[in-house]
Amino acid sequence: MATEVKTTVPGNMWKVLVKEGDMVKKGDPLFIMEVMKTEVHHDSPVDGKVVKVNVINDQEGIDPGIVAVVIE
Amino acid sequence: MVQVIKKGLETSIQDYPGRIGTLNLGFPPSGPMDSWSFRLANVLVENEPGTAALECQFMGPTLKFNSDRVIAITGADMSPKINGSPVPLWESLEVKKDQVLEMAFATIGARSYIAFSGGINTTPWLGSRSTFHKAGVGGIDGKAIQDGQIIPLNKTKSVAGRKIKKSSIPVMSTNKKWSVEVVKGPNDDWVDEKGHKMFLNSDWKLQSKSDRTGYRLEGPKWSFTEKATNKGLEHGTFPSNIIDQGYPVGAINLAGQTPIILVNDGPSMGGFIVPYTVPSASFWKLGQAKPGDSFNFIEISVEKAQTLRAEQTTICSEASLVSSSKQDILIRKKQINKIDHIKVVDFDKEKLDEKIRNKMMEKKGMKNIKVRFFN
Repeated sequence: MATEVKTTVPGNMWKVLVKEGDMVKKGDPLFIMEVMKTEVHHDSPVDGKVVKVNVINDQEGIDPGIVAVVIE
Repeated sequence: MVQVIKKGLETSIQDYPGRIGTLNLGFPPSGPMDSWSFRLANVLVENEPGTAALECQFMGPTLKFNSDRVIAITGADMSPKINGSPVPLWESLEVKKDQVLEMAFATIGARSYIAFSGGINTTPWLGSRSTFHKAGVGGIDGKAIQDGQIIPLNKTKSVAGRKIKKSSIPVMSTNKKWSVEVVKGPNDDWVDEKGHKMFLNSDWKLQSKSDRTGYRLEGPKWSFTEKATNKGLEHGTFPSNIIDQGYPVGAINLAGQTPIILVNDGPSMGGFIVPYTVPSASFWKLGQAKPGDSFNFIEISVEKAQTLRAEQTTICSEASLVSSSKQDILIRKKQINKIDHIKVVDFDKEKLDEKIRNKMMEKKGMKNIKVRFFN
């Protein structure tokens, strides 16, 4: 089953750490957002394979609740 | 007491109006960015409007209660849940011992406030419990709250089900645009007519590199008067440079071509001009705006700004509560009996001595009191 990892804060995408096809373990960092001069890490909630990455480095003005990464 | 399970993005203890009278020592007022929502949260749990409470930014905390408590959540909607069940905002809520309050990310607005009946009882510093983390003062250990911490609370009682009237709740933008009032000055004579028109007629985008210190804005280029371009060397080389001066809280500080609004935790002085200032009554809009949202600025007079502030103070009181059924009954009684004082106090046998009566009247702001005795 696919797991959607959503953004939890509004802000900019600072670093995307995974690409489609990567294998990730639960707790691995997927991407880091920036808001209020703070880095906000988003970690993988499950073990699996990254099947979709919807965000890119330095993307600006991202809303919370957007599906950023999909893991299967 | 309340235990912090998850701290959220940056959740801090604040009180209102914060650390006042210390700007000359370099300490900003701090305090809640949206003091309107903050004060109403306290009103809901029968605290003084300025009592220390929590400010949650963008993503709220998860808290476990060590005793029964009445709380209220106002401001941004972070989909609060108590033991998994969604709970309403702008209403006093009862939380039982061992229950867990969980908050997610802000869907509407950016900052949420949690007030606890009795208020947070940390040690004040320079007269305030407000956290100013850049200097490491106030709050708990001078920082935002951390996982595992215990937040000490004062003991007191309140009741669930107190609600704020819809007309007293600040209306948050849902289209990413905010109209924010500004007052001209103190350095408006450094910007030319074209620059003023440009500022008031443009949309200014809030950047992600914004926090409780400053709100960085993105927009068109400024132009200046001769005062800015042809000046003594002591003022510095760029048009927006000026010999160091004190900054008002809410200053729209022009750093080169980038305006930065100096907000609650902002610096007290520096060498950039301040063409406009955001009045305190409009701070709540800044507090609820998200990065990527845009501001357009509307110039108002100092008098108008003061009127807005006074109106907001009136709103942030018991007058904004939806009248409870008990009060309804008393009002109806007043209408039937045509008496001019409606507050009735019941006492059991005990004779009320004049001193206590006067004290009670003073506390409740009554001119008249009617005492009824029961056997």
